[in-house]
Amino acid sequence: MSSVSDAGHTRRSVHLERRLHVEPRRAALVRLLGVATALLIAGVFLQVTGRSAFALAGEVIRSTFGQRRGLEETAVIATPILLDAIAVAIALRMRIWNIGAEGQFYIGAWAAAGIGIHFNLPTPLLLLMMAGAGVIGGALWILVPAIARAHWNVNEIITTLLLNFVAVTWVEWFSIDIWRDKQAAVIQATPLVNARLPGLFGSTTLHAGFLLPLALAVVAWFVFRNTRWGFEVDMIGGNPRAAEFAGINVRRRIVTVMLISGAIAGLSGMVHLAGAAGRLQGTISNSYGFSGFIVAALAGGSFVGLVAGGLFIALLLHSGILLQTAGLSIYIVLAIYGLVLVGIAVAGGRSSLAGPPGETLP
Amino acid sequence: MVDRGRHRRCVVRSLPRGERELTGPAPSAPDERVIEARGITKGFDGALALDNVDLDLWRGEVHALLGENGAGKTTLSNVMAGIYRADSGVVLVDGVEHHFRSPAQAIEAGIGMVHQHFRLIQPMTVAENVHLGWDDTPRFISTRTLVDRTERLMSEFGVHVDPNAEIWQLSVGEQQRVEILRTLARGARVLILDEPTAVLTAQQAKELFSVMRSLVAGGRTVVFISHKLNEVLEVSDRITVLRDGRRIITRDAAGATARELARLMTGEDRDFEVKSRGRAGDRPLLQVVGATARSARGLVALHDITLTVHAGEIVGIAGVSGNGQTELAEVVTGLRRTDSGRVLIDGVDLTDASPRRFAQAGVGHIPEDRLGVGLVPSAQVRDNAVLHQYWQPELSGKVSLKRGPISEFATRLVSSARVQTRSIHSPVGHLSGGNQQRLIAGREAMVASRVFIAAHPTRGLDVHSTEDVRRSLLDRRDAGCAVLLISDDLDEVLLISDRVAVMYEGRLVGEFRREDADRQRIGLLMGGHVAPASEEAAP
Amino acid sequence: MKLNIFLAALRTAIDAGTVVVLAGMGELLTERVGVLNLGQEGLIGIGAVAAVIVSDGASSPWVALLAGMLAAGILGLLFATSVVIVRTNQVLTGLAVVLVGVGLSNQLGNNYQGSPVEHTFAPLRIPILADIPQVGPALFDHTLIVYISYLVLPTVVAILLFRTRHGMNLRAVGENPAAADAAGVNVAGMRLLYTTIGAALSGAGGAFLMLVFTPVWSVNVARGRGWVALAVVIFAAWRPSLLVFGALLFGAMISLGFIAQEQNWGIPSFVLAMLPYLVTLALIIIPSALARFGFKVRSSVAPGALAIPYFREER
Repeated sequence: MSSVSDAGHTRRSVHLERRLHVEPRRAALVRLLGVATALLIAGVFLQVTGRSAFALAGEVIRSTFGQRRGLEETAVIATPILLDAIAVAIALRMRIWNIGAEGQFYIGAWAAAGIGIHFNLPTPLLLLMMAGAGVIGGALWILVPAIARAHWNVNEIITTLLLNFVAVTWVEWFSIDIWRDKQAAVIQATPLVNARLPGLFGSTTLHAGFLLPLALAVVAWFVFRNTRWGFEVDMIGGNPRAAEFAGINVRRRIVTVMLISGAIAGLSGMVHLAGAAGRLQGTISNSYGFSGFIVAALAGGSFVGLVAGGLFIALLLHSGILLQTAGLSIYIVLAIYGLVLVGIAVAGGRSSLAGPPGETLP
Repeated sequence: MVDRGRHRRCVVRSLPRGERELTGPAPSAPDERVIEARGITKGFDGALALDNVDLDLWRGEVHALLGENGAGKTTLSNVMAGIYRADSGVVLVDGVEHHFRSPAQAIEAGIGMVHQHFRLIQPMTVAENVHLGWDDTPRFISTRTLVDRTERLMSEFGVHVDPNAEIWQLSVGEQQRVEILRTLARGARVLILDEPTAVLTAQQAKELFSVMRSLVAGGRTVVFISHKLNEVLEVSDRITVLRDGRRIITRDAAGATARELARLMTGEDRDFEVKSRGRAGDRPLLQVVGATARSARGLVALHDITLTVHAGEIVGIAGVSGNGQTELAEVVTGLRRTDSGRVLIDGVDLTDASPRRFAQAGVGHIPEDRLGVGLVPSAQVRDNAVLHQYWQPELSGKVSLKRGPISEFATRLVSSARVQTRSIHSPVGHLSGGNQQRLIAGREAMVASRVFIAAHPTRGLDVHSTEDVRRSLLDRRDAGCAVLLISDDLDEVLLISDRVAVMYEGRLVGEFRREDADRQRIGLLMGGHVAPASEEAAP
Repeated sequence: MKLNIFLAALRTAIDAGTVVVLAGMGELLTERVGVLNLGQEGLIGIGAVAAVIVSDGASSPWVALLAGMLAAGILGLLFATSVVIVRTNQVLTGLAVVLVGVGLSNQLGNNYQGSPVEHTFAPLRIPILADIPQVGPALFDHTLIVYISYLVLPTVVAILLFRTRHGMNLRAVGENPAAADAAGVNVAGMRLLYTTIGAALSGAGGAFLMLVFTPVWSVNVARGRGWVALAVVIFAAWRPSLLVFGALLFGAMISLGFIAQEQNWGIPSFVLAMLPYLVTLALIIIPSALARFGFKVRSSVAPGALAIPYFREER
């Protein structure tokens, strides 16, 4: 590299100006615009394929907001989405993309199921053990990608993603084969776990786990606003070399943060298992990991935005499930996610999320 | 051809210079003007970089564009070379109006530019770089054909480099030659060189000047952008001075004085003089003993360096960039491990310690790469200001940051370091280079209670920030710190240092007291010509 | 007996690896020009579903193949426009392509679930060579696409990249777009072109899946092969020859799975299903780890400007 001065410095600051110049309020507004555009395109697509977008939208609103059950179902979906989103968001502050939240969710659920099926203990104790298993499972699942990223600069997107496929297969193996509930004739799943999370507000659908992401979001918000640890993570995300110069141990922190991210995603799996699903099966996740990722990307670093975005995405996903009766598959929702992501990319592409995944390609 | 050129120049020279001046900017014969720029104006984000500038370039001349950093020399050249589009104004080449939309178009018109940051592809070979994006390159290529063609070009233009070498393997001077060859091969009749001597030793600069003169002897025009008065006076035929985006004057080089040009460049009779010399104590605060270290590429960058800096003195390391200075700065601040040797701060062995330990020991460091290492561009001014102190008990507890004290700290730092910013919450990437550097210098000066390392601290800065940064070095010296200044600007080193050492290829090849420093000798040492022992000044 | 199994495995491996070769080569070109296209998984899906849909009406599998390439190419062009012209974040946009591609293809393919594709490619026996005992049928009795993917395509790409002026300019764009731009190369044009071509190749891979390998639609038909392609490009250090090798390795893992089941080796099918992904994971981690410990296996450096959007300096 030419070791000449950075007399291109004027050039560089002009360049950066373009990138940094988006104020947070404006950025949020532009993101909303991106989301709205995505929905618009989806609506057009629906119209074009012969369905009335308005009728569907009406149906969705009625089913969701009109009945208590609709709201509860949305909240049940929102729980794993929000937890996964928090997991991804924490890593994202260091510009690390944990697309493997889905896989960590699965392994967390698996580990929790292992405890929950085979032990019979008082509920609070068992739940605690299951939670511990979920946390450890998720963290272990991200361990190899974490070390590979921190020490050898291996792209974490590809590594965590490949492990997603492995995780799903692993859980399928156990739920269809090893731990299969022989008594239940039809479903290919494990028996029910021996401890379930209590219902919220006397509901049989909505479980106490819903409170967890809300609490975690507050904690995360506090950590990144007020603590040394959070400050250091943000500095690493902004410029790892400068962080190193400032005395921060970058490699160790990368591993730590990724492990925390994996742990939370694993916990998310446990919560969903013990709160909603009850049994472990190959389809225990309804794309919650990817949804969480979208939410984190939407939130752009704000934990308040994350909660709002998570509830919105849960609504979308819930609608998708509802709309299956109208002949649409859940996959349309995925496509809509994609459009939303494009909307975010176009809108916020020049602000805090801009930039490639570090020097992650060897 | 050469003879005719020389003869022509002799004819020109025989006219009494004074007479030329008296008759003012005489319109030369139309066919002598190869480029005319009229009324060039260019602004960026509301600030004018060029304000209605006119420029005439003649055939067969070396024309210097002289000015401070930020005066508009590079911007004007970028307009002529098709990289920028002027907001208004026109460029005529051989009388024909052009509005270049890309560098390729400018090259077609015969204007080529060699930038300060080379536009070369590092992992590719010289031959490949020369043939990049060139229509003359045959459709199907092989290493052999490219090398053969390149060698032919090298003979034609008298510029030589190993065509098989990959760019990253070459010295900066050699890379420059590749750039020049590339531009000439495309048929450039006007060659613009942007601060070419910044990366050369005195000897290499002389070689470059002779290449320049032979090019103009062949009828070409060379535009020499620089802020170095001596060199401009040495090699140019005519000089245009720019200041704050305006053309101040265009005159013949003959008869001009450095002082007068400096005044025109800065607009005032300014002389940054160092009033007093440091009073070096006996206490060695920075000691490097036999340090050997490798560069990021794995090649040995420091060979057995031994150096001591005492309290209250500034030691300046002179030398062309790339001779190990970067690694030296990194080794004494915890950013690089040594292969062998020791680093002591105030007697304490901190060899291979972490950057945090060095900071805790009172070592401040203005890094060479301010945006890459010194700052987090997307973070606020406030965060960058406390980046090296946030762990102190005044600014944070065991877990939490103390936001109030942090804001106060940042505000105080910004004001004392004279950083111009809208608020401490602005992203630091928004600041100008000068203000960024002021922030870093101020921040590091606070950390530097014992040792202050400054690597190329005024590179690319405007006059005012340069002064501020230099002042912070002097202040630290007067407060009893040991200051190590690394700079490839020999003038700066001689201006500020109490002692001067020269680095060449990872070794210290000479050490002088300021009073005994001989410019010429140092220049030779920078280029690797070792003086015989008997001529060494007594330590 | 053993040899038979090995050769049968080889045959399957070659077929199984074809998708990865196609998508991988496409991504190799894209990354060589400096663009990171994470959307391969979605592009393969789009190519597959387009092939299935068109195959319903058309009479020739070639039309279906073309349809697959076209559909993926269009999506790829949209992606390219977004990241090169608008300069959106390549990671986010690439993931969007995955979601849109997978979502759309699953939705559109719903109706075709379970019904076999009508017009598939028949294998093309190479005379003489295919008659070589044992080895012949394994190597020389494949569809034309396979021959093209393993032999023609890598050769063409290698020649393009390393033996032509155009290819040199292409590589320069990926290494240092500012320098290439200054030298007069059309950076945006190159990036748009090769990103789109890369996407079309992935679409061909998806079409191949439907027209040769498993000629019946299923949900998530790509099964992670898009991600494997991305990994293999890294493993191959962006070189066409090594890419073929990596793809074959992956194919071998898949094929191993089939054989193990057939031969009742007693390994659970789930373990076999996980194997290809784990091997791919190892393929990208191990070289990097070794490099850090000083064993430079080969110079595996990414194109210098990969995934960094190019802002031309103010005009």
